Amino acid sequence: MSGGLVTEPTDSDLMTLATPYALHAVSQVEQDAIERQLADAPELVARAFTDEVRAVRETMAVVSAATAVDPPAQLRDRLLAAIDDHAPLPRLSPPQRRKWQSIALSAAAALIVGLIVVGIGWAIRPEPKPTTAEQIFTASDVRTVSGDIPTGGTATVVFSRERNAAVLVMNNVAPPEKGTVYQMWLVGADGAKSAGTMDAAAVAPSTTAVLPDLGSSKALAFTVEPGTGSTQPTTPIFAELPLT
Amino acid sequence: MTFLEFASRLPGVTADLDALLRRVAQHDVDAFTAFYDNTRARVFGLVTRVLRDPGYSEETTQDVYLQVWRNASNYDPNAGSPISWLMTLAHRRAVDRVRSEQAASQRESRYGAANVDLPADRVAEAVIDLDERRQVTECLGSLTDAQRECIQLAYYDGLTYSQVSDRLSANLATIKSRMRDAIRGLRRCLGVS
Repeated sequence: MSGGLVTEPTDSDLMTLATPYALHAVSQVEQDAIERQLADAPELVARAFTDEVRAVRETMAVVSAATAVDPPAQLRDRLLAAIDDHAPLPRLSPPQRRKWQSIALSAAAALIVGLIVVGIGWAIRPEPKPTTAEQIFTASDVRTVSGDIPTGGTATVVFSRERNAAVLVMNNVAPPEKGTVYQMWLVGADGAKSAGTMDAAAVAPSTTAVLPDLGSSKALAFTVEPGTGSTQPTTPIFAELPLT
Repeated sequence: MTFLEFASRLPGVTADLDALLRRVAQHDVDAFTAFYDNTRARVFGLVTRVLRDPGYSEETTQDVYLQVWRNASNYDPNAGSPISWLMTLAHRRAVDRVRSEQAASQRESRYGAANVDLPADRVAEAVIDLDERRQVTECLGSLTDAQRECIQLAYYDGLTYSQVSDRLSANLATIKSRMRDAIRGLRRCLGVS
């Protein structure tokens, strides 16, 4: 007879059940018994069980590459229609305070995905020289900071101190007024250093720029400057992304 | 080198799915779409593998992603990677569906000989790297037949380990240790930390 558990498992039984549990290869009754037991188990046992479950699931997540099959395209449409029916939460509008850190940008996400694909191709099939963007995305200290531009749109910086470089993505930012440009400044203890300008044509609807030398700067700041830009900011900073 | 091996050393990848999930939790449709496009082949492929019925598989895949849409805020980065969270959710759904169909029809399991043949006809072009797929296939191939049979029955056919033990006329302890050894073998072969 090889039926299910009739009693609560002991601690050592519990550990032998970690793999079947992680693979969903226990009955509902057994699963409930395991979870009750786990709640009362000594912390070390519970942690060992959880670690084992986690390792099994991470492993099977990798194994899922072996069975990957693209779903029919209409599934995507149906899904997007279905989520449309669920009343979306109001979009985060940041009128009171701009939380630079917390806002991710879909355009940046798409860029990141694109560059990661490039990065993987590059890792497997060695290519002569990775671009600055690739180097940033593959750096061990890569970080992303995003925030709204007060006049509309979003800016995202993906940067690496190790690579001493950043990629800036501007999305849906209103163009500067005629006769002016947006100027980017790397701000450090020793003041602001120009990191380039963007005119109306460069801004809309989205743009990316590589900032090759971060130096010891602490933030990337934006000002409106007359003509084709200035050597030092001449107007107040209207947006700032921390590079820390 | 596998995708995830590479990705695990690439904070951008994990951070990226993490970041997308955080946005999904705030009902950001663009983030949801990007998350779907990056993971759909793994999810649909696994669900299809378990359910073996295109209609059920599409329904279940849709359920999985609706659950992601509603419950993305439940994802806890400390408990595992986003892809592991997603695949666990997908597998749970698929297994629940298989078991309820089987209970409803009371039929003998339709599954025959154990196998881990891969669907060679339709391969996901996007996102999944062919080298990665090849490596996973090789690692599955490096298991013993008995270990592979256990994974097939328990993971892809949705049997409980008790049912696997009945099916193979082997005792429970043997089945549990075969399953554990199979996963350990895969884990070592794939370099999953």
